[in-house]
Amino acid sequence: MTESFPILLAVMAAAAFLCRVAGFTLMRFVPVSPRMEAALRATPLAVMAGITALAVQAGGLAEGLALASVVGLTLALRSDVAAALLGVVVVAALRWAGL
Amino acid sequence: MVRVEGAAGALWRTLRWGCGGAFWFAGEVRHECAPYGAVTRALFSLDGFRRGARDGVPLAVSIFAYGVGFGLVAAQAGFGVGKAVATSAAIYSGSAQLAAMNLLQTGEATLWALFATILVINARYLLFGAALQPWLWSAGPLRAYGSLLLLGDANWLMTMRAIRAGEVDRAYLAGTGAPVTVGWLAGTALGAGAVSVLPRPEALGFDLMLACFAAGMMTAMVKTRADLLPVVVGAVTAVAVAHLFSPAPAIIAAGLAGAAAAALVHREPS
Repeated sequence: MTESFPILLAVMAAAAFLCRVAGFTLMRFVPVSPRMEAALRATPLAVMAGITALAVQAGGLAEGLALASVVGLTLALRSDVAAALLGVVVVAALRWAGL
Repeated sequence: MVRVEGAAGALWRTLRWGCGGAFWFAGEVRHECAPYGAVTRALFSLDGFRRGARDGVPLAVSIFAYGVGFGLVAAQAGFGVGKAVATSAAIYSGSAQLAAMNLLQTGEATLWALFATILVINARYLLFGAALQPWLWSAGPLRAYGSLLLLGDANWLMTMRAIRAGEVDRAYLAGTGAPVTVGWLAGTALGAGAVSVLPRPEALGFDLMLACFAAGMMTAMVKTRADLLPVVVGAVTAVAVAHLFSPAPAIIAAGLAGAAAAALVHREPS
């Protein structure tokens, strides 16, 4: 690796920027049918479920219990943000307890 | 003289930025009230920006902690505060930056390898942008692409949820991005600068913050039984892909599989 830092930075920034705008730009040329809309609406749910499932898989009992408590707390408190912040407290406490 | 010029330049830039900002926001009312036949643009107001910024503050707390984590890693790779913050500002994606650091530390990174790594890690943004497009495009190209610069995992999820709940103000996305950006850059600076004295973010549970937000928002967004299909398909796909290949393509695979499943079972209301 002999390139200077500004060149490295420019290459990395270009790749990141490309990802940010490419999907958006391509969708301008795709007609949004009701079926397509259903797919786009489902995407965030599937991504969130994927993130959650991966965290459980990569973690252990503490992570699984904390994320399960977030689901329960969201339903109980009717606030997903409060539930998420409490979930962090739960996982910190469980790790501290040695789980 | 130089100092005066510098101060004047800074003032000028501030004013220009202020006007630019005002220009960015101005015009939504005019567009909304435009006579029939004129190009009507979606609402993009300071109110919506503020609403997004307020909702983005809790995200910023978690992103701040994540930024500290990246700063620590960057410092270990020999980056100073300036380099670390420049990286965070230019790439603006934690997972891609961590992967790039990892690659740089092997000492065998080429520019192409770096480019490809970030492309693969951030491929999910193709999906994020596509999902936002029908809503965001109506704000006009300048505002839409400007907002996309502030797009991240957490505020994308938050914005998609807000859209579902009926948010019409397109400035909401940029609003959620504002506190997140501050948190991300401040966290990076702190992590890179104070690497020797900080506790590891894992000890405080901050590494699980994004997953916690994802779990919470997912739960809040499931309204009908049909919404459970992408949840199940997404979770199963992510775990299977991570197990068979690697975690990097697992998220985009989950999104695509969930979208495909929803499209397959979609029935036109008769």
